[in-house]
Amino acid sequence: MQESSQTSGSRPVLQASSVAWAVGDRFVLLDADLSIFPGECLALTGDNGAGKSTLLDLLAAVRTAQAGEIRLYNTPLSQVEPAEIARRIARLGHKPGLYLDLSACENLILFEALQGRQADKETIAARLGEVGILPADQHRPVRAFSRGMLQRTALGRIVHSQADVWLLDEPSTGLDASGLQILLRTIEQACAQGTAVVLASHDPPLIQACSRRVRVSGGRVLAEAA
Amino acid sequence: MSLLRLSWLLYRKDLQIAARSKEVLGFMLLFAVLCVVVFAFGFLRAGAAADAELPGVLWVTLLFSSTVGLLRLFTPEDEGGVLDLMHRSIHGSLPLFLSKALLQLTYTGVVTVLLVPTVLLFFDAHLQAPGLVAAALALGLIGQATLGTLCAALLMQVRMREVLLPLLLYPLLAPVVLGGVQVTAHLQQGAGPEVWGGWLGLMAAYDVVLLVLAPWLHERVTQGAA
Repeated sequence: MQESSQTSGSRPVLQASSVAWAVGDRFVLLDADLSIFPGECLALTGDNGAGKSTLLDLLAAVRTAQAGEIRLYNTPLSQVEPAEIARRIARLGHKPGLYLDLSACENLILFEALQGRQADKETIAARLGEVGILPADQHRPVRAFSRGMLQRTALGRIVHSQADVWLLDEPSTGLDASGLQILLRTIEQACAQGTAVVLASHDPPLIQACSRRVRVSGGRVLAEAA
Repeated sequence: MSLLRLSWLLYRKDLQIAARSKEVLGFMLLFAVLCVVVFAFGFLRAGAAADAELPGVLWVTLLFSSTVGLLRLFTPEDEGGVLDLMHRSIHGSLPLFLSKALLQLTYTGVVTVLLVPTVLLFFDAHLQAPGLVAAALALGLIGQATLGTLCAALLMQVRMREVLLPLLLYPLLAPVVLGGVQVTAHLQQGAGPEVWGGWLGLMAAYDVVLLVLAPWLHERVTQGAA
């Protein structure tokens, strides 16, 4: 995938400085620093419970850092309008981010409306087709989907959001071999267009495909992983 | 897209989901009928249910059955993991609140339409002033939908919310339920507006306060948490 823009001197899209998050008296993250640049694909690796998902949640402003600061284009996230965060940052968490009783198509139309955009049904159908959701499946409630199809639809949502940053938590969960290929291709295309992608994964092919890898351990973001 | 248009769109989406699953309204109706049956047996006097208890039974049954709806009000957002997306619309989380309050009002409205004749049937009574009782019911439903939606949203991600919701909601709804019972009882006794007017006024005033305060509080809490 495309090399990081870090060396080209472009400013970070997202920047976490000395970020901390604790549950009770246990620090999940402590003094975590991370910069994410346009067009790079950054893999967060680390053991279960290392704090990868928490870091993604903080970057997505789903949680607010208890200490430290996260900046979106050099503006503290706390000062960015929620709608602007939604426009700039797309997040795929452990849940698909979809209404299960709506179809894939209806979900994407709804999320367009939330951002005040008029939905183009043809573009949505094409987008869902790109992630492997067949036309016959695009109009039935996603509750009937398998885990892999749900993940593909969620990926379709992320792609369609046109956000500047994608934060993907275990994006290959439930995907079959062709689904994984679609995921890799989609990320590659997004990075080529300048989108920054941060993913937390234990999936070696996905990690290897990233242009940069960092390890989260003991609540800290460590130097580039091997 | 205007605030009202987006709220209406979300409301239509909720109706669509409700029509597909059908479970919430069905359980609310079933629960309401069951309550009336239990109350009717509990208040048997000389082989017939005492009609003096009718106002209390009507309002308490409405309160109980509305709780069933409130407990499921945000389930589609919770199970699909879309809550943070909904809080980040171009109009913040206000469209979500308005659509959910309207949905709850719709649920309880349907329940009320079927509940009133059921209560009258079991208590072998008829309404003395149907129009005024309907007005009191409308004020009561608006109050419970507004405050109930706020409480349901606040407790959505809290453990034991099934227990906490009634504990929080019922005391706060006391002016609405108490007023509703008093207005209905006085109307059934044929009393004039000088007796029940104050209670109806209290209900209306409380509704106005809730209609202003609840959306504002919801926005403050959700945007603060985001």
